[in-house]
Amino acid sequence: MQHHVSKRRFAMGLSSLDKIIALQRNPANIRNLCILAHVDHGKTTLADCLVATNGIISSRLAGKLRYLDSREDEQIRGITMKSSAISLHYRNGDQEYLLNLIDSPGHVDFSSEVSTAVRLCDGAIVVVDAVEGVCPQTQAVLRQAWLENIRPVLVINKIDRLIVELKLTSQEAYAHLQKILEQVNAVTGTLFTSKVLKERAEEDEEEEEKKKDSKTLSGDQVYDWSARLEEADDSQLYFSPDQGNVVFASATDGWGFSIQQFAQIYSQKMGIKAEVLLKTLWGDFYLNAKAKKIMKGAQAKGKKQLFVQLVLDNIWSLYDAVVTRRDKEKVEKVVTSLGVKLLARDLRHSDPKVLLSAICSQWLPVSQAVLLMVCEKLPSPLEIAAARVEKLMSVGARRFDSLPEQTQELKRAFLQCSSGANDPLIVFVSKMFAVDTKALPQNRQRPLTHEEMAQRRDLARQRHADKHTALWNKSAVQVLSIYYSISLSGQMESLTLKDSKPEEEEEHQTFIAFARVFSGVAKKGQRVFVLGPKYDPAQALSMLPEGVSASGCVSEVPHLSCCTMESLYLLMGRELEELEEVPVGNVLGIGGLEVSVLKSATLSTSPACPPFIPLNFEATPIVRVAIEPKHPSEMPKLVRGMRLLNQADPCAEVLIQETGEHVLVTAGEVHLQRCLDDLRDRFAKIEISASKPIIPFRETVVRPPKVDMVNEDLGKQHKIAIIHQVKEGRSSATLHVDSGGLVTLTTPNRLATVSIRAMPLPQVTSLLERSAELIRTLEQINMSLREGKSLDISHRTLEAIIGLKTQLEILLQGRKWRNAVDRVWAFGPRRIGPNILLNSVEGYQRPSVWQCLGRVVKAGEAGAQVIRDLDNSIVSGFQLATLAGPMCEEPLMGVCFSVEKWDIQSPASKVEGSSETLEEGATAGPIQARRRPEAASADCYGPVSGQLIAAMKEACRHAFQAQPQRLMVAMYTCEIMATADVLGRVYGVLGKREGRVLHEEMKEGTDMFIIKAVLPVAESFGFADEFRKKTSGLASPQLVFSHWEVISSDPYWVPTTEEEYLHFGEKADSANQSLKYMNAVRRRKGLYVEEKIVEHAEKQRTLGKNK
Amino acid sequence: MSIFTPTNQIRLTNVAVVRMKKGGKRFEIACYKNKVVNWRAGAEKELDEVLQTHSVFVNVSKGQVAKKDDLTKSFGTDDLTAICKEILAKGELQVSDKERHSQLETMFRDIATIVAEKCVNPETKRPYTVNLIEGAMKDIHYSVKPNKSSKQQALEVIRQLKESMEIQRAHMRLRFVLPAKEAKRLKEKLKPLLQVVESEDFDEQLEMVCLVDPGCFREIDELIRCETRGRGSLEVLSLKDVEEGDEKF
Repeated sequence: MQHHVSKRRFAMGLSSLDKIIALQRNPANIRNLCILAHVDHGKTTLADCLVATNGIISSRLAGKLRYLDSREDEQIRGITMKSSAISLHYRNGDQEYLLNLIDSPGHVDFSSEVSTAVRLCDGAIVVVDAVEGVCPQTQAVLRQAWLENIRPVLVINKIDRLIVELKLTSQEAYAHLQKILEQVNAVTGTLFTSKVLKERAEEDEEEEEKKKDSKTLSGDQVYDWSARLEEADDSQLYFSPDQGNVVFASATDGWGFSIQQFAQIYSQKMGIKAEVLLKTLWGDFYLNAKAKKIMKGAQAKGKKQLFVQLVLDNIWSLYDAVVTRRDKEKVEKVVTSLGVKLLARDLRHSDPKVLLSAICSQWLPVSQAVLLMVCEKLPSPLEIAAARVEKLMSVGARRFDSLPEQTQELKRAFLQCSSGANDPLIVFVSKMFAVDTKALPQNRQRPLTHEEMAQRRDLARQRHADKHTALWNKSAVQVLSIYYSISLSGQMESLTLKDSKPEEEEEHQTFIAFARVFSGVAKKGQRVFVLGPKYDPAQALSMLPEGVSASGCVSEVPHLSCCTMESLYLLMGRELEELEEVPVGNVLGIGGLEVSVLKSATLSTSPACPPFIPLNFEATPIVRVAIEPKHPSEMPKLVRGMRLLNQADPCAEVLIQETGEHVLVTAGEVHLQRCLDDLRDRFAKIEISASKPIIPFRETVVRPPKVDMVNEDLGKQHKIAIIHQVKEGRSSATLHVDSGGLVTLTTPNRLATVSIRAMPLPQVTSLLERSAELIRTLEQINMSLREGKSLDISHRTLEAIIGLKTQLEILLQGRKWRNAVDRVWAFGPRRIGPNILLNSVEGYQRPSVWQCLGRVVKAGEAGAQVIRDLDNSIVSGFQLATLAGPMCEEPLMGVCFSVEKWDIQSPASKVEGSSETLEEGATAGPIQARRRPEAASADCYGPVSGQLIAAMKEACRHAFQAQPQRLMVAMYTCEIMATADVLGRVYGVLGKREGRVLHEEMKEGTDMFIIKAVLPVAESFGFADEFRKKTSGLASPQLVFSHWEVISSDPYWVPTTEEEYLHFGEKADSANQSLKYMNAVRRRKGLYVEEKIVEHAEKQRTLGKNK
Repeated sequence: MSIFTPTNQIRLTNVAVVRMKKGGKRFEIACYKNKVVNWRAGAEKELDEVLQTHSVFVNVSKGQVAKKDDLTKSFGTDDLTAICKEILAKGELQVSDKERHSQLETMFRDIATIVAEKCVNPETKRPYTVNLIEGAMKDIHYSVKPNKSSKQQALEVIRQLKESMEIQRAHMRLRFVLPAKEAKRLKEKLKPLLQVVESEDFDEQLEMVCLVDPGCFREIDELIRCETRGRGSLEVLSLKDVEEGDEKF
């Protein structure tokens, strides 16, 4: 990093800023390209070589410095983690080119960064390691380039490894290179086939529709896919050295070449036409020395291919001379024959690599080969394909033709790439990245002038003189003088380091948009529309006045806002240069958008512009962790930091869960590590800790088994359950459980008794979950009705409520559920949950929750139904019971509590000694019903209402325990794309994680399988990572929450018979997944876990003194 | 009379003594450490894993075995196993290190869970996680008192945590209807108890929805009941006023 601090001020090396600004105006000579590859195939090294041509870094350091890896962790880990851009100037003959080069990360976790880079480019350099060949990420980047319609060129890198490491002969190397080329082309071919097949399917569909319309059946309809494939032209698609879109290189040693270069060299030497050589240099051709002819069929005749003979052999002999044998004389011979001038220093250097790169970088400089290919083969912004424009602009599966006319006109501006004053500005922002505010060019520290320095020195001296005199009287002279000298020098240092402006402590990070101008000219300070992804130009055009500009205030068009581009920057790797305006076709950085743009956006001066289609991310975030500050008082800092992180990272997601957890979702473990580092060092600047997120569970009951398949001994099991819970009950005097599961509980003051039975709810759980919002409104309506107020209920809600009711009635069938829907007392927990309280009390005609419907139908009858006193306590008790179940204090789900008896004795009657049951509600008037028994407040057990709540809650819990209890787990659906060869391992990982495969199918035209599976959330921590490791990155899972599922095993089950002991062991904890989950939750919450502190009493450490 | 010689001496190690006084006599049994609490809770079912020996002592450390007569007199039986079980169930025990440790740890967690359930971050109205509360409790060096209930201690912890971090009891949302006559007078009395008044509707009677500290609930309840002589009503709308659902940045 420190290497070029000295060059800070002007990191432009040989080409000045003015030059680049001039070049920016000529779109024909601009190339926007990115470097894509699998991790460690040499992208950044190649980028280094290209950067070195501009003199930004020394060519000696190229390949070692990794200039574009500006983050510290990138340098330490040696992998790129973000895409970064740099503008380069390249002169080819009389043509001058401007290259906007974007380096991208290769690691799968950062594939989102690749997406952001690809969107801004017109072409891509795909780098492939000559040894490793096509790797998973190579396939992924080729797919991404394909999907974005950008043209790729190929660089086969690290050919030196074939010589030095694998020790291949030139002949073998040729075969190897050919194989790699075939692999790459196979991938492209697959992409092409799948696209053709997809298009055909679409066409077929259209034809089908047409057929349906015309109702004429053409008999000669032949489904012959091969014909269509042959029709489609794919000649441009493939990589081939004779096409000029392949470069062979070794970026570390600094050499690289394309066939053309050698064709030119040899056409002069051998007098063969360059065109002929160009065609025959790659392929099965050989040189017949006698006939002086180039013949076909080298392999068959056992001759050396032309490529081997003319190209590879030369390189091999060079390596042999320089690296392997270190033959000084031979080296000199080679050097003179190549016409390369060497420094004596390099010749003497002990490391042969230095000499090698010194020779190679002059003989076959890699930058020359690559840049030439880029300028010739990659399209300029002018050549942007119409298809790509249409694809970019047709968001949300809308066809381009269906967009408004004005929008379609924009396409013209797009294609022409004109930068006239009248052309609309269209800019796409693909990501936001954070830079240190101090690193911005406007805030950059400038060297102090002499006068300023002198002035400051005087000031400092003055200050210290003051201090000096103040301290004089107190301290010894010697000590003081030491202090003085030290502090003065310290002060001087800090003075020179400090910025000239007072530092703004609060804002350390500024966000800069990584963007490209697709049409028009971006000017500093310009007002533009920011178009959100859901923005609809048709709707906006109808709402906005004609000819509106962004400078005016924007009306309430959805997904449209306005902002000012406060500053424009030229991106030079880690440096930024301020610009006044940026014409079409250039990559740029825009400051001042952090408020209006979150991650990506489309900017335009014309409201007719549609938003570009969202970025296509290969990897979706699936690794979830909960983040906490080390010191709880730093919570606000963490929240702010996470907000910044969310904006700075295109792939990270940040959310606060209902439990209060701050969850960070990232694409993988490496990505997670980077996000945590960022939070720690840049955004939050506090100590944080990341942990496994809390996994939610639900508790439920199931139907008691009618036939026990294992022991056919039902009575005993039941007894166990009842014994179990009688033991738990605090006072069995007030609690009674009968064999049917009916629980009767009396309050401590013996005044009220409730009898409750718990039942599993059939099927309606998901319906109740879905209609939580509706039930909430229903609850509000009921509350206001109870107050005697009438509320205006919209027709739609009423209909929805009726719909819900009928659906419930359909689902709740059978003898047990007769009239159940009308008797619903409440829902819970929180009055909206998926549990039901049923009113089965005889003689208590309580208005049901559906009373708002009843009021409309039969208003007269409502008066007869009165709410009994303390009704609210029953509901509250139910709410509390459903919020935290007895198994592990998790909410209940799908449980119905039916109140079968509810007696209250008035305290007065207790005094008299009679135990008469009062049906207060039936006799008392509405005003009295609200009155509370005042005498009860004097009770030692607190107010009756409170006691009843507690009693109701306890009764519900006991009723719940009287039934067979089960745990419910949240499930993810998991979609996996995997190639055929890793299919077995995919199943292995899924099986280990308790996953279940739902179905599996092959994707048409590819060798990819799509597998759909479900997986418990509790097992998902570390799933993605394990998955990628096991399948070497060839399969990628996606996880989405889908539903709750009952675990079929009983957490309280213990083996009882001899066979079960044998099979499961005494404790049966190995097989019981639900017990494991339950105990984990109980332990986390500090509840009692039935576990031994020490397993074997005899095996404890002996603490005896004298033995 | 047994003589202590190395040959007929059985030395017990890792002894936890359970004592019981019955019939004016003291009886002891020798148990393994860290097992008695498990036995009482029902987690350990194997008696031999708890008892070092089935004999009942007068003094374990001296190795004095209780006399049969005394046992029959006090327990009404001379079945040593039955007596051991009784002593195990009713006697006073030494809590061993691991038992104490796990007990304190469980209680610590329990307190943290209660605090996390009851409290919110006043800025975001969202609860803190149990982990965070545990960390904060460690930061303030809270020591668990095993003889106080977790709930009591949780309230104590909340009070102490307030000094070091932004934390607050989650408010209860209450709605009360007051008859017009007493409304004004009562409102003045209630005012200091209410944290936030969300809505106030005064036509025939005063209807208010407000957030209160859960600690004040009884006071408010009492006030309304006594002052209005049963004509006012109080309803709990929600026990905890927290943000629901997930929030995405």
